[in-house]
Amino acid sequence: MLLQIIQIFKLNVRLEWQQRQSYFAVVLYVLTTVYLTYLVFNGIMSPETWNSFFWIIFIFAAVQAAYRSFYFEADRRFLLYFGMVKPQVLVLGKILYNFIYLIFIGLISFACMLFFLGDIIADPPAFLVLLVLAAAGFSAILTFVAGISAKAGNNPALPAILSIPLIYPQVLTLSRTSIRALTGFSWELNAPLLLVLLLLALATLLLSYLLFAYLWRD
Amino acid sequence: MIKHWWKALAVLLVLYTIILGFLGPVSRLPILNETIRVLYFHVPMWFGMILLMGGSVIFSIQHLSSASPEADLKARETAVTGFFLAFLGLATGSIWARYTWGAYWVNDPKLNGTAVTMLIYLAYFVLRSSVEDQQKKGRLAAVYNIFAFVMMIVFIGILPRMTDSLHPGNGGNPAFGQYDLDNDMRKVFYPAVIGWALIGVWITNIKVRYEKLRLLKNER
Repeated sequence: MLLQIIQIFKLNVRLEWQQRQSYFAVVLYVLTTVYLTYLVFNGIMSPETWNSFFWIIFIFAAVQAAYRSFYFEADRRFLLYFGMVKPQVLVLGKILYNFIYLIFIGLISFACMLFFLGDIIADPPAFLVLLVLAAAGFSAILTFVAGISAKAGNNPALPAILSIPLIYPQVLTLSRTSIRALTGFSWELNAPLLLVLLLLALATLLLSYLLFAYLWRD
Repeated sequence: MIKHWWKALAVLLVLYTIILGFLGPVSRLPILNETIRVLYFHVPMWFGMILLMGGSVIFSIQHLSSASPEADLKARETAVTGFFLAFLGLATGSIWARYTWGAYWVNDPKLNGTAVTMLIYLAYFVLRSSVEDQQKKGRLAAVYNIFAFVMMIVFIGILPRMTDSLHPGNGGNPAFGQYDLDNDMRKVFYPAVIGWALIGVWITNIKVRYEKLRLLKNER
């Protein structure tokens, strides 16, 4: 099963790499929005504003990126998969791919924000740990919702409407924790919040695993 | 007639809470004053909503395991009634907040939870309306409903306990239990919860029957 998950992951990387322009589109999206923030907020960037803008830009980039998860399967290809792999394997492979993709998007957003809006992070390692937790938590929800919207006929507004309310719990916890990474982070004090984020990520992973079979049945 | 006893019970309980809710004795407290009576109308809406949303998830699970169109219809109508109760809870809470906290909307974990719940169920209705095929619609909606319900419970049940809230009973604000020394308020509050929940079930029941008749008429 693990081998199959990795194969699905590799297949995804290969397919997406053939259409590299989608990566550049996401990177460009991050770049333009960060620059827009820089233009609008020039000179009055407090840690709180930095923090809020980072998460908003990251979330919208992530929703856009994950929307493509089932782009290739919307046609007849999923019938082919259906005979070859179990739906659970398919969704775990896609989640793994999106997890790594979201970490990259997060790092790119982080680098762009540092470059344009100033280096005001007191504890970069803590912030990066939060970024990985965010990618873990978002990847399962976004992949799952991408699956739903692919099945619902690829209405472009649907992924954002369906997924953003579902990630509120994580976003609220993340932004509340990450503001401390900007101003000075204590691992002991924030351990319960980090645990909550980890548990949320595991819960969403479990839900995707359990429910995806029903979603993918036709 | 025997089957309908619970409807009579619902009407009697709600009548009882309306009469005693406005006329019965309540604790005298600064700031809250008479607004404490909102407890009988605001809080039961949330209990009713959670109950109905829970029911909706059970119907969704039923639909996934049996693919019965009736379970899907019930899941939808239960969610609609739950959403209606959530709206009433929000409206009553908002008016109350204006006179006690000074604003219609404040940044409070419970209010955020409400907003998220309502957005999640609005998304659920949008998802339903954007799929044409009945079978597919039912399945996608059921899957989303289960996923959304778990996240909603996390948001309104777990996260607020990790932070302070302005609500009575949270963040150092005592709940009504501590004021209600002679149990006067309990005698109205618990019947209110049961009564309003039954009214919610009744509304859903009527709506499901109406929808079934409408489908039958369209088939002809």
